[in-house]
Amino acid sequence: MPGTNVAISGLGAISACGNDLTETLQNFSAQKRNASKVTLFESSLDYPVFEVKNFIPLDPSAMRTLNLTFAAARQAVNAAGLGSGFGNLRVGICLGTTVASQLNDTDFYRQYRDKGSAPMDSVERYLKSNLSKALAQFLKISKINLCTTIVNACSSGTDAIGVGLSWLRNDYCDLVIAGGADELNRVPLDGFGSLSVVSKDLCAPFDRERKGLNLGEGAGIIILEKESVCRSRGLTPELFLKGYGLAADAYHLTAPRPDGSGLEQALGQALKEAGIKPQEIAFINAHGTATKDNDLVEGRTISRVFGTKCVFLSTKGYTGHTLGAAGGLEAVFTCLGLREGWVPANAGFSNPDPEIGIAPAKEKTQIMGNYALSTSLAFGGNNSALIFEKN
Amino acid sequence: MYIAGIGIIFNRGRGLASLEKALTEGWVNPNSAYRVPPEALTDKAVLKEARRADNFTKMAVLAAHDALADSGIPEEEKQKLGIILSTGFGPHVTTFSFLDDILTYGDAGVSPTLFSHSVHNAAASYIALNLKTRGPTLTMTQFADSFQQAIILAQAWLEEKRCAYVLVGSVDQCGKVMEYICSQKLKVAVDGKIKPFNFSKNPESVPAEGSAFFLVTNEAKYNKYCAISGRPFPGDKEEAELLILDSDGMCGDERPYGSAVENNVPLTAYAPVFGSLPGLSAFSTAAGALMLKNGKIYASPVQENPHGLNILTARQTLTVHKINCLRYNCYLEELVIRLRRGAR
Repeated sequence: MPGTNVAISGLGAISACGNDLTETLQNFSAQKRNASKVTLFESSLDYPVFEVKNFIPLDPSAMRTLNLTFAAARQAVNAAGLGSGFGNLRVGICLGTTVASQLNDTDFYRQYRDKGSAPMDSVERYLKSNLSKALAQFLKISKINLCTTIVNACSSGTDAIGVGLSWLRNDYCDLVIAGGADELNRVPLDGFGSLSVVSKDLCAPFDRERKGLNLGEGAGIIILEKESVCRSRGLTPELFLKGYGLAADAYHLTAPRPDGSGLEQALGQALKEAGIKPQEIAFINAHGTATKDNDLVEGRTISRVFGTKCVFLSTKGYTGHTLGAAGGLEAVFTCLGLREGWVPANAGFSNPDPEIGIAPAKEKTQIMGNYALSTSLAFGGNNSALIFEKN
Repeated sequence: MYIAGIGIIFNRGRGLASLEKALTEGWVNPNSAYRVPPEALTDKAVLKEARRADNFTKMAVLAAHDALADSGIPEEEKQKLGIILSTGFGPHVTTFSFLDDILTYGDAGVSPTLFSHSVHNAAASYIALNLKTRGPTLTMTQFADSFQQAIILAQAWLEEKRCAYVLVGSVDQCGKVMEYICSQKLKVAVDGKIKPFNFSKNPESVPAEGSAFFLVTNEAKYNKYCAISGRPFPGDKEEAELLILDSDGMCGDERPYGSAVENNVPLTAYAPVFGSLPGLSAFSTAAGALMLKNGKIYASPVQENPHGLNILTARQTLTVHKINCLRYNCYLEELVIRLRRGAR
């Protein structure tokens, strides 16, 4: 079972950095940051956000998170050569989200609060918004073996991919569509604002002067399949998912454990599963939200485990913090880095933080090596890590 | 894998003694909803870390704590523990309180405490905090499939040795808004009685809340109740000697249960004890595991039998080794939890 090779046969991403992979790479290369004021809903808060623009929903009746999912999944499925169907493959779908899992429609609740009754439209929409089930229906997959939605806050997308890895290793499925999605929404914007972790300027991950995160939206989807299945479909896989680590801080609901030991445990587990040493990691796509606490703990832990010379960055300067989508998007970006042989500059960074002790990539950087790591840290003290390989 | 410990909190109280008592007594009119009594949520020692948390979290923390305590797993083994929490709707009561804040005080006037507790995984994080365990901790939601999916993932984690033990369970809360939604979306039983053997296209329900947790492991020496699987056991033809039907009116059309019980297998259903909730199968699993351990089967709490089925009408000594808990979700997909006495 641990020897099961899990190939990645398709990638799809949509975010403020680009509505597909080509546009994303162009914007990474140009260090373009597409932030703006909120336009998707009314808000009295004056924070910059990263909204997806020029986006035509594939199903206008469905909630935005679903449409972002559909867009990214369509890209990934086509890239995997599955656009015409999945045949007899035993398919699993495992996606992470935060917003789509909550019945948080303000208009519905306002009417209920004011009148004691409210129309059921938003409830109907919520009940149709289980991300994984909705994608199964959108893709018209007849043979779904497993279908689950992960709600592990900001590590949901990463953990959804990790669950997909477990399913494949245990032979529960032949192929898993995994990743994460979230739309920009008033509830998390207000909530993160109340925690005083949102910046009124563009975010600056790992910078000494960082003032907090910007919220964003998007979806990142990868197609995982057993290498044998991938090859039997006539494909030669180039990318592989090699390891997954997940550990709890058991410390605080919103703050990371200061010593970083939870993250270190997750990193150790992922490295062990991948069967590699820390120095074999070519680059790290860090969680890097640009909050004081996250970047301090994560940066110090990266330094401790991978050394002060390691290449690392946060892509949140291009996408904002997309919550349940972040792990999915960043897994896709990590795969792109391995495939393309470079990573973009850590947007927003200019001043090294002596308390962290290491600095992220200041410019577009060529990478050397075959392995890369993507990390996620979440509310509740979840620490997750994925390791990818380019063959 | 095996069930080494069970923790449960529901409308009739907390703990296995309350479960046994409820199964023995049978149906009691819950009035409008099956709610956990407030006095069951006041264990200050266990809830010390979660004293500011909502009832969603408190139910989960108590059930998870009790499952671990029931298991007898040595203290030093706790760091080999994973946590998987499943929920249909999450902490929606807190979400609505947060919306209250937005509507009353505006975007800049909301409570950070409410926000952080409105996130689905707050409860699992509190469980880890309470037990001081640092293993993998995950929350998942799939409406009526949530518990079944959690059991399957627990199996996967144990098989790949991601952890040696998993606390896997279900929690859902029934607030006033959810009760209203149920009244609009479902046919609520005016007499407070779920009729699980009617197999109606438009069945009656009574909303409920509670939490049930299980300590599961592949270590046979810790098998205190039975083996459990969300997927078929190797060589298992999936035939059960007793079926627990989770027909609670929550998922709409219940006619598929009719075709699933054609071979005259003895039937029971405990939805009238636990109520209608997404994770009902977790509660039925607790009942089934307890019956396999204690060697006795509890009668169906509601015995209206319009189809002349082989329903358990009285408590009896156990002669079965294989119990299946059967659920149909809102897409009419069949979900089965398999319980097997002794070794799997």
